Amino acid sequence: MFKTVDDYLTQLKANLSGCDSALIQDALADAEEYLHTALENAQLDNPQVTEEETLHTIIDKYGSPQEIAASYREVEVFITPVLTTARRPIQQSVLSRYLGVLSDPHAWGAFLYAVISLLTGMIYGMWVLFGASLTLITLISIIGIPVTGLFLLSVRGIALMEGRIIEALLGIRMPRKPLFVSRELSWKAKFKSLVTDSHTWKSLAYMILQFPLGLIYGGVTFILFALSLKAILYPVLDGIFGRSLITLSGQAYHTSPWLFPFVSAAGFVLFALPLHFARLAGRIHSRYAKAMLVKKT
Amino acid sequence: MIDLGYVVDANKKFQKELNSGTAALVLLSVLGRAKESMYGYQIAKMIETKDEAVPMMKQGALYPVLRSLENSGLLESHVDPSITGPPRRYYRITPSGRETLKNWMEIWNHTKDFVDSLLTGDHNV
Repeated sequence: MFKTVDDYLTQLKANLSGCDSALIQDALADAEEYLHTALENAQLDNPQVTEEETLHTIIDKYGSPQEIAASYREVEVFITPVLTTARRPIQQSVLSRYLGVLSDPHAWGAFLYAVISLLTGMIYGMWVLFGASLTLITLISIIGIPVTGLFLLSVRGIALMEGRIIEALLGIRMPRKPLFVSRELSWKAKFKSLVTDSHTWKSLAYMILQFPLGLIYGGVTFILFALSLKAILYPVLDGIFGRSLITLSGQAYHTSPWLFPFVSAAGFVLFALPLHFARLAGRIHSRYAKAMLVKKT
Repeated sequence: MIDLGYVVDANKKFQKELNSGTAALVLLSVLGRAKESMYGYQIAKMIETKDEAVPMMKQGALYPVLRSLENSGLLESHVDPSITGPPRRYYRITPSGRETLKNWMEIWNHTKDFVDSLLTGDHNV
């Protein structure tokens, strides 16, 4: 018999132990939404019945923690993030393996993530700078605590959104629901849990680090991509516009016209390089993001 | 002598399997008819009031199915804060979900007709 919704959620969490932490977060959010809504409706209809009695009837309909945990485990087997398709068999030749990246959806997803992270990294960095400055300025006044709370809440919200981008583009399971916070806590206790929860600070650190990381991911990908594009278009650029292949210390270097097809061919081969880089960076980044943005349960 | 315990267990198992197989169709159908987005509790209540004689699956078990349908692109969702409680995730059907619902309804009707014809003895074996 459960006395409160929190008791039920604690039991559900225990029954889901060993599952993906993002799944546990979602399951708790689902249960919390249902149980609180059902409890409110039931108490409006029948205010004299105790919470414990009402909860008993509600849980009977919703399902015991064991039953619900089993349902999530069962369905989760069939849920895979968008890009987690079956891996392609390894090609025979080195060149076909190298160029095979062009048809790999994971690589294109990671490529897009690398480009986007250039922008999101800057936005996160600026937001942290703005939020932290505002928090420090207002901390001595009466509005200091609400401002700090709102800033830290925004960090949690951005962490959830970043997780959604990562799941869609890098194909790793990330939380789909906000973190569970007991409604029965006072605002002071909620603020305390927000400030003392390492998840908040890890999310904040992630946002700060995302600024240089975004520059590296986006910068390297973009430079490699631009180089390959220039090589592909070199016959046109040199033949018509007189642009050099490379310029070193103010000295422009051109190639003989008979080499144009080879430069273009090299450009096509080079085109796969930013995808390889983005795929590798994406694999490493997704593990790092999971460690930073998913609360350990 | 009939083992009543076994019969009850077999009935429960049969109902559970039926529910698991039809949950996705039921949810798509409810959201296909809905005029606006609905959250999990609303959907569960709507299904419950449709026919209380049929023991549907536990209402909590609908949530993972909703997430699975969303993951397949048949539903889409957004989270809205609630004034009185925790934030709610509202679901609505996508164009691909509507197309799938049409196909599933056809499959369901064919299966239902086939099973009915066997049960009533109209089917020539």
